Amino acid sequence: MIPGKYRSVSGRAANNVEFKLNKDTSSFPGRLSQHDLERNYSSRQGDHINLVSSSLSSFPILQRSSEEKILYSDRLSLERQKLTVCPIINGEDHLRLLNFQHNFITRIQNISNLQKLISLDLYDNQIEEISGLSTLRCLRVLLLGKNRIKKISNLENLKSLDVLDLHGNQITKIENINHLCELRVLNLARNFLSHVDNLNGLDSLTELNLRHNQITFVRDVDNLPCLQHLFLSFNNISSFDSVSCLADSSSLSDITFDGNPIAQESWYKHTVLQNMMQLRQLDMKRITEEERRMASVLAKKEEEKKRESHKQSLLKEKKRLTINNVARQWDLQQQRVASIATDEDRKDSDSAQDPCQIDGSTLSAFPEETGPLDSGLNNALQGLSVVDTYLVEVDGDTLSLYGSGALESLDRNWSVQTAGMITTVSFTFIEFDEIVHVLPKLKIKFPNSLHLKFKETNLVMLQQFNALAQLRRIDQLTIDPQGNPVVNFTLWKYYVLFRLSHFSMQKINGTEVTQNDMIMAERLFGILAHVASSELPQYRLISILGDARKKQFRYLLESKGKKPGIINEENNDSKRPVGENTNRATLNYTTREFYNEKLEEIKEKKKFCKTYIEDLVKEATEINMKNEALQKLWPQMFIELVRDAVIEIRNKNSYMKLCLQQITDQK
Amino acid sequence: MLSPERLALPDYEYLAQRHVLTYMEDAVCQLLENREDISQYGIARFFTEYFNSVCQGTHILFREFSFVQATPHNRVSFLRAFWRCFRTVGKNGDLLTMKEYHCLLQLLCPDFPLELTQKAARIVLMDDAVDCLMSFSDFLFAFQIQFYYSEFLDSVAAIYEDLLSGKNPNTVIVPTSSSGQHRQRPALGEAGMLEGVEASLFYQCLENLCDRHKYSCPPPALVKEALSNVQRLTFYGFLMALSKHHGINQALGALPDKGDLMIDPAMDEELERLVVRSKLHRTPWQHRAKEPGAFGFQRREKQEALERVSSASVPTPYHYRWEPRE
Repeated sequence: MIPGKYRSVSGRAANNVEFKLNKDTSSFPGRLSQHDLERNYSSRQGDHINLVSSSLSSFPILQRSSEEKILYSDRLSLERQKLTVCPIINGEDHLRLLNFQHNFITRIQNISNLQKLISLDLYDNQIEEISGLSTLRCLRVLLLGKNRIKKISNLENLKSLDVLDLHGNQITKIENINHLCELRVLNLARNFLSHVDNLNGLDSLTELNLRHNQITFVRDVDNLPCLQHLFLSFNNISSFDSVSCLADSSSLSDITFDGNPIAQESWYKHTVLQNMMQLRQLDMKRITEEERRMASVLAKKEEEKKRESHKQSLLKEKKRLTINNVARQWDLQQQRVASIATDEDRKDSDSAQDPCQIDGSTLSAFPEETGPLDSGLNNALQGLSVVDTYLVEVDGDTLSLYGSGALESLDRNWSVQTAGMITTVSFTFIEFDEIVHVLPKLKIKFPNSLHLKFKETNLVMLQQFNALAQLRRIDQLTIDPQGNPVVNFTLWKYYVLFRLSHFSMQKINGTEVTQNDMIMAERLFGILAHVASSELPQYRLISILGDARKKQFRYLLESKGKKPGIINEENNDSKRPVGENTNRATLNYTTREFYNEKLEEIKEKKKFCKTYIEDLVKEATEINMKNEALQKLWPQMFIELVRDAVIEIRNKNSYMKLCLQQITDQK
Repeated sequence: MLSPERLALPDYEYLAQRHVLTYMEDAVCQLLENREDISQYGIARFFTEYFNSVCQGTHILFREFSFVQATPHNRVSFLRAFWRCFRTVGKNGDLLTMKEYHCLLQLLCPDFPLELTQKAARIVLMDDAVDCLMSFSDFLFAFQIQFYYSEFLDSVAAIYEDLLSGKNPNTVIVPTSSSGQHRQRPALGEAGMLEGVEASLFYQCLENLCDRHKYSCPPPALVKEALSNVQRLTFYGFLMALSKHHGINQALGALPDKGDLMIDPAMDEELERLVVRSKLHRTPWQHRAKEPGAFGFQRREKQEALERVSSASVPTPYHYRWEPRE
């Protein structure tokens, strides 16, 4: 019948429809130009086509002259006849081609008798509904472009349909065409389609025109085994995912996307090419090998980048969660400390104080006793998700530590290169007292760390800055006011400059250090240093300095006990406080626990000393008493001694005899 | 030296009065602590140095609080050391908060309790707004009274409370260590229209206290002097009066008179030398133009500071709760 090679064009241009029909039939008048047609028909109109209005019905009745009927027995053209309805066509039941182009027909009627119809052209009419075609079982070509059709329907019996043209209508949905298994060309351009699906069953479809719609996604195209040409120009497709089914269609070789948002994207071409290796033509241009190669390279790069950024964002998220977790633990810890302190206060004082008011926490359900308090906190902690409790991050030249668990990471084997690059070390959510213990490690492992940052580290006393003196060098110091009450003091910066004068610091909290500042610091605290060094007795000096060095040494031993060579080096290093003003060296900081430990240790000794001294005192007082007693008794004793002696010698002769006797007795 | 009263006391009492045993015990303890270091240069030298430093008042530097407060002499030495070390802060004219003064105290004595500093601050600020700024001299004199006479003040506080609530003042009161000043002071309404207690009654009780107890109290004569011009007084008014009284200050002997507080020529000389030396040590990049330190808080010029010192005798804005009758 009609094999048809149908090249569809956009509905805009003049409807130069070309049909190459079977050799049986002669050429369709459509091959002639419009002008010819009009010329031909207009001349024939009067003669051969009579549209007689019948008195019986409202439809005009068509009559053709018999010559016409013989000449063009299988085709009838009623183009531009100003028809508003389909006329009744009598006696033309073997008609095969019927043309109603450019009329004003609103309903398809009165053609049910033309059961041999192969091609029906109703282009450019006012048809609102597809109907009246149920008897046209032979119909192969149905042209309904440029009408007012809102819905595809009533095509059930047209099982032989080869070409269906519905462009320029108001169709919103593809439906009721699944039985058209011989359909090869489907034109739905310039409609109101928002998506494409429901295409199964169109087993012969080779060309699908969907230009100038509002399509956002496409589905079911992989169910079309023969589809070769797919025109999606001037729609609303913005990502390849919405047309992903195209990748699975092995038959597709020609596709257009121009006029879609997706075509503006930088990744458009290579994404399409990469996903649709079967394509030969894109946007009406042949695809070269070069283009394919480029596409695959670029697609690979895209993939890498996406993977990388995904990984990055995952890391970032994890970091954020960890930091939040650390912060939360820090807050809980601080509140716990605060509430313990207030509880102690309460024990001392008589008045009851509400712990909620003291620490100003938002936990309004704070129980009053210490027992349930601790359990409450424990429950809260258990409720937290199991995320890391600390975070160590190296970012170029900055080492950031969050949470006290992070301090252990300083023990890790850092590569010399990484460690050497670190110039800034930042501590957050870690107690300063804990940081003090690891400062020696910091000194060794990160020799180039020149800038220290502290945030939420509980710096409360000026004394704590003394601990920083043991480092090799600090150029910059940043103490974040958040969580460090010491910043509220008027003199803190001067004290830092004074105590760490040997570092020649350049910046504190971002502000540069001027000579005036240094002089002021010296003026304020210079006497303290003088007193601390020159007025302490020698033994105190030695003991304090020795204490400090012993402590440092102890930390070093604990961390690197096994390598004697390095220890020697460190030993030498700690012996020379590099450039430190020795008059400040006695200003040290011992963390509270160590201090209390020390005091505890001394208690034993104190007790011993006490008893020892008591014994001494007892002895001394005994001796004193005896001395005093002797003093009292002595005069009397002396007199008695003298009297005894005088009495003895009164009789010279008997005394001489007594003495001689004594001498002989002695022998 | 061989005064009769000295020989009149029995041995233990004599030793206790002079706190000899405390120093002996401490000396031996220190010896044990630093055995290795001291054995280098001999025990005799150690004892010499130790007792020399006790005489000079430098033995309390960087020692624990229990030692610092053990004897009156230690307390005096500590006060003096604090004054000498931080006089420059006062001279500079900075007003500091109680916490900051406490920090400075802790530089010299690491475990100095916050309580004492708080009490001293309350004296200066008349128990209001303990976060206010205080001048160095105000704080120092108040701190002196509080620290040196802390036990005495606790008893006084107890007496005051009793007087305020109308109890018989002549009953024996044995205050616990911290109960005195933590008790809620009754609202003014309860005490009636007049604030505080009657001065003469108060003084009588104090006299009894001084007689009864052995710990150090201010010379009663001077206390009487301090109370002489007022009819009624409040607790903190009384303490403020004590701290401002020159006689008591001199009796203590730790600090110079208020007018001379900022003067210490020997130390100033030493300081100048230190400053010059530190200037010489500056590395080249730090020789900058003389911009004022950009540390963002008010710096007072020297003149202002000196003016401040001389005007210290002028009443500060704090309202002393003297209630002069007519």
